[in-house]
Amino acid sequence: MEPISTPRISGQIIGSFVGRNVMIVGKVLQLRGEEAVIEANGHVTANLNREAHLTPGNGVQIIGKVNNDLSIKVMSSVDLGNNVDFTVSQAVVDATHQYPDLFVYAN
Amino acid sequence: MTADYGGGGGYSRTSYGAAGGDDAGGFVYGGSQGGSQGGGRASGEESLRPVTIKQIIDAEQAYQDAPFRIDGVEVSQVTFVGMVRNISPQTTNITFKLDDGTGLIEVKQWLDADKDDSGKPQFQLDQYVRVWGRLKSFNNKRHVGAHVIKPVADFNEVNYHLLEATYVHLFFTKGAKTDANGQSNGNTGDNDSMFVDDGNSGNGANDDKVRHCSMNAKKFFNWLQHAEGGNEGIHLNLIAQGAKLSVNDAMAAAEELFGTGVVYTTIDDETFAILDY
Repeated sequence: MEPISTPRISGQIIGSFVGRNVMIVGKVLQLRGEEAVIEANGHVTANLNREAHLTPGNGVQIIGKVNNDLSIKVMSSVDLGNNVDFTVSQAVVDATHQYPDLFVYAN
Repeated sequence: MTADYGGGGGYSRTSYGAAGGDDAGGFVYGGSQGGSQGGGRASGEESLRPVTIKQIIDAEQAYQDAPFRIDGVEVSQVTFVGMVRNISPQTTNITFKLDDGTGLIEVKQWLDADKDDSGKPQFQLDQYVRVWGRLKSFNNKRHVGAHVIKPVADFNEVNYHLLEATYVHLFFTKGAKTDANGQSNGNTGDNDSMFVDDGNSGNGANDDKVRHCSMNAKKFFNWLQHAEGGNEGIHLNLIAQGAKLSVNDAMAAAEELFGTGVVYTTIDDETFAILDY
């Protein structure tokens, strides 16, 4: 039982989360070696770790730390396949920040 | 006993109650319910509530072994989703650590020595699963005793669940949407509510009066509205019984409705009638 959150965010609000661990669900647009570009209501650059297995065009969930240049240092990533409804993901991001009592520990 | 959940595989309350010990004793919450042994448990307490892990961690407990409360509502049966962060097999149970991005919680699945558990699904780290279980506290450490853990096959279920947990939270804190067609609009706007507030509820003007009241106040009001002899007023204890509220909850509901001028007191301070104008 640990009060640690990785709040779900989008590319639009990433600027408010520099230095924090976050979760992003989006679509893989491009893979370039250790770097991926992810569409999540705005483009996000992700610096991948070795274990990452992403597929362009598929959905992905990444957890990582937001760098100063608004890229993400990925700690874990999960391929979500090609059947992800991104409007629902975005609705969850909206709910997360509208009702932080349910979703986010301040840390 | 009460609980035989149709869709959920028919857990009977007796078996779990005996194991957890939390059903023991007929302690009546609030005290003054005329001799109804064990009747102090609120009716909603055994219903299954979708929650986030943060809500589980934040659930209030007035004292040790007291019922858990979320949004002021008693809750024991919960369902939630999470990623498996740790699996630790013990002699009597398997302890999982689950993370849904809002917090981390331990989930224990008890092993039945008489049964061959090899048919149960095996889970991998970082896999999303859904848990159905009961909130427990042991040595001041909170965990969930799982009835069932299943893998999440479609990732959209995770997002669906988080929105459903939000919906239920809003239902208890802001009240049900009166236009009960169950549709929630994707909540993309800046609107403070997830629900379309269009007012074409088709219920009488009376229901409008309690639209922004709490769930308990609505139950209180609805029961009182349809009760006989409502003109002279009905005693709080009778209303509590009829509306299936604890006396404390009924008292709070009465205060809320009294404060907004929906009900008034008649022959004494504990007898209420609906104010019709």
